[in-house]
Amino acid sequence: MTDVRFSLNGEAAEVDVEPRELLLDTLRDRLSMTGAHAACEQGACGACTVLVGGASVRSCLMFTVQVNGAEVRTIEGVGSPGALHPIQQALSTHHGLQCGYCTPGMVLTALEMFEADPHPSRDEIVEWMSGNLCRCTGYINIVGALEALAGTAEAQS
Amino acid sequence: MTAVAPPVAPPETTTGTLRREDTRLLCGQGEYLGDVQRPDLKHIAILRSPLAHARIRDIDVSGALTLPGVIGAFTGAELAADTGTFNHHLEAIPTLRQINWSVLAVDKVRFVGEAVAAVVADSRYIAEDALELIEVDYEELPAVSDVEAALEGDSPQLYEDWGDNVFLYIPGPHGDTETAFANADGVLEEKFTHHRIIGLPLDGHGALGEFDPATGRLVLHASTQIPHFLRTVLAEITGLSEAKIRVVAPDMGGGFGNKVHMVREEALVAVLAMRVRHPVVWKQDRTESLTASVHSRQQVHNVEAAYRNDGRILGLRAEIIADVGSPELYVIGAGPAIVTTAIVPNCYDLQDYAFELRCVATNKAPMGAYRGYGQGQAVFLIERVLDLVGEKLGIDPVEMRRINMIPDEQRPYVTATGAVLDCGSFHDQLSDLLEGADYDAACRRRDEARTEDRLVGVGIAQMVEATAPNIHGLAGQFGVYEMAMLAVQPDGKVNVVVGTKSQGQGHETIFAKAAADELGISPDDVTVSDGDTGVLPYGSGTWGSRSVVMGGGAVIKAARQVRDKMVAIAAGLLDAPADQITVSDGFFRFGEAAIPFAQIASAAYLHTFLLPPGMDPGLSVIVGYDSFNTSPFPDERGKMNVAATYATAAAAAVVEVDPATGVVSVGDLTIVHDCGTVMNQVILDGQIHGAVMQAIGQTFFEELHYDENGQPLTTTLLDYAIPTFGDVVEPRIIHRETPSDLIGGYRGAGEGALIVVPAALAAAVHDALVPLGVPITQANLSPPRLRELLRGHSAA
Repeated sequence: MTDVRFSLNGEAAEVDVEPRELLLDTLRDRLSMTGAHAACEQGACGACTVLVGGASVRSCLMFTVQVNGAEVRTIEGVGSPGALHPIQQALSTHHGLQCGYCTPGMVLTALEMFEADPHPSRDEIVEWMSGNLCRCTGYINIVGALEALAGTAEAQS
Repeated sequence: MTAVAPPVAPPETTTGTLRREDTRLLCGQGEYLGDVQRPDLKHIAILRSPLAHARIRDIDVSGALTLPGVIGAFTGAELAADTGTFNHHLEAIPTLRQINWSVLAVDKVRFVGEAVAAVVADSRYIAEDALELIEVDYEELPAVSDVEAALEGDSPQLYEDWGDNVFLYIPGPHGDTETAFANADGVLEEKFTHHRIIGLPLDGHGALGEFDPATGRLVLHASTQIPHFLRTVLAEITGLSEAKIRVVAPDMGGGFGNKVHMVREEALVAVLAMRVRHPVVWKQDRTESLTASVHSRQQVHNVEAAYRNDGRILGLRAEIIADVGSPELYVIGAGPAIVTTAIVPNCYDLQDYAFELRCVATNKAPMGAYRGYGQGQAVFLIERVLDLVGEKLGIDPVEMRRINMIPDEQRPYVTATGAVLDCGSFHDQLSDLLEGADYDAACRRRDEARTEDRLVGVGIAQMVEATAPNIHGLAGQFGVYEMAMLAVQPDGKVNVVVGTKSQGQGHETIFAKAAADELGISPDDVTVSDGDTGVLPYGSGTWGSRSVVMGGGAVIKAARQVRDKMVAIAAGLLDAPADQITVSDGFFRFGEAAIPFAQIASAAYLHTFLLPPGMDPGLSVIVGYDSFNTSPFPDERGKMNVAATYATAAAAAVVEVDPATGVVSVGDLTIVHDCGTVMNQVILDGQIHGAVMQAIGQTFFEELHYDENGQPLTTTLLDYAIPTFGDVVEPRIIHRETPSDLIGGYRGAGEGALIVVPAALAAAVHDALVPLGVPITQANLSPPRLRELLRGHSAA
């Protein structure tokens, strides 16, 4: 077992895990952060996306020991029901989610995108988001939500 | 009691989000099956067959039991001793092979991925490690993965006692095809094929079981579209009474029909929870989903169409062969193919129609439900026939449809198979499509493109969809009905519980609005729940585009009954005749006098002396709601009205084919959609968007591959490609609203675009390839398949 310490949504976290334990399982089963979801467990779908050091990663492909000393951000650290993040608000306003299973991964990928570029074009949004799969929405309203947000003051916040 | 003046009505919603589900889902606070946590939860891993066809000689689990952290390891033979078996409940069908199957395979495996043993351990990691330590002695048998090969006399047989691989045979001689063919000017003969795909909810099947030995009660949390049906089946398997079983379906990450079946593993979880006396969970991984859950669509159609030179289709004969894979699935996986046969006449006046359906077992994963449920294959068949006959006769696709459509004057129109169509005007719907798509201009642009040697095509298709169907004929039990509970609480807030089960369709939002409108209150005052058999006696779940039609109808019926009682109370308090009381904006009114909704509620529970003499306290009802117009099974002529009401749609597509790569780009897509009264257009359009993307995936991306030995070749999402952001096709959507006769005037929605769009895409690709003379008779138009077709053509 290996002692792993990292920052989780701004707070100190410490777990004692086998080297083979995946970050997704640690977050969900040990730390009760169940917003990252397992869907393909092969890195193909993006439902398990979290940010490590501000960069999106597939938590199903990362070992927990790899985040020792890192800053990890999950959907639980983005917005709250009383104070939705502008990305979350836009997705709701534009009906950019149905079952919601892929949604946390979408929000975190979009967060990384807007931090890198507050003014993405439609094509750039499509490029940024293309690693995240959704089976419900046909993507149309997700693109619409992010396009509406792009370039606004909120996207830069 | 003093009447007070009403205040200004509150805004319709104050949540700040479009749907009330959104907030928790956006914040990662949804509770999907995998998120349900319990102290002391144990994990189940399942050993699956690596062979497509084999006898199980012996299974030795002793190695697994030596691993620290393993609680138990179980074989099918061991569990069979005190566990019931599944069957299809269709003893009444003499041409169906009657089979029983267990929660784990006992003596034989029939597809790669079939469950043969299970381990329960402290963690999923340990449970999966332990699987490696189980020894299975298989006697490998020859396998058959091709459906037409499975019909050959020398094919390996999945069930030796059958004598062949035909699981179900249904003949359907409707009308007089003999005369129709005798009177024909010509006969079109074609073979159409549909490939194997999967609905693929990102959140797969899964279940968490908890058994309390002290009370003998079992709770099964399951990602299921049909919690009450599952409870009924669990009672058969476990031997517990339904009163001792509670099924809870939490938030669901999609279902798309895949979860309208009760998979073996759900029952296995229940059985193991009772055995090990710990809460246990099994969550399907993606490889299990792709190889061992529910596949869809695969059919072969051999069609003969008799036509007159004026374009009229006089008669149709269809041999429909469905590749059902392993038939060990309940509700029966042959269901969609049975529905295919029923829907073939579509919106056309085609009474002389005969089919022969063979559902054939092969060494592949079970076939079952996926959005569209066999109807897309039927629509593809008839729409291709119209285009191909039209091409022979030089009659354009629009004219072919006008010639053959059911006349507007005939309503209801009873189809050859007994469907009682209550739809609006097909001619007007087609006109809306042509106008919305600017069809003539699209055809002109196509003609111009052809002069530049570009392969541009325009295609149209139409559909009739059986919505809110009666499932009794396919399941041998259950029906078309729905149940709902509505309770006004003492504070005037309302609980609605409905027997449908949302998988992302926004039911909490739409049913709150439906109840609130009847009660004259804000939707914010209504809390909607679903998916808990402990709260509502029964329910039929969500499938068959039924939730708004039957669930919405049940909610409205319940709300009206409660409202009537509240009106009676208000009439007493206001000393007014009940029929002159109006209800709106949270008040019961008589002239200038008004009583707040909440005051009536408190009278019913807290101040019951205010109630009219003899009135029982309380404000709650449980209602059942049936459409009373469907057939539970076919009559002696094989005819049945399968659904409570019928939705319609038409689609037009413009595509361009790149002959070098086989890539098809969809330039324009228009859909005219009639689901009767629209409950929430934003959610409805979202459903259409999703169905369109699934149609794009089905046509251009997705295919489950097996090799000739039955080995699956698409076992991860890296092999099985579904569309992503770059593949977006944004349809132009035109709504027609022809109310049905049911409560609310609803027809079903959600599946239509996936039924009609693939046929429109095929028509458009066919049209694009006209200069090359390559007819499209297959549903799979992925780049490799299209290249294969083009190569075959240029070689010929």
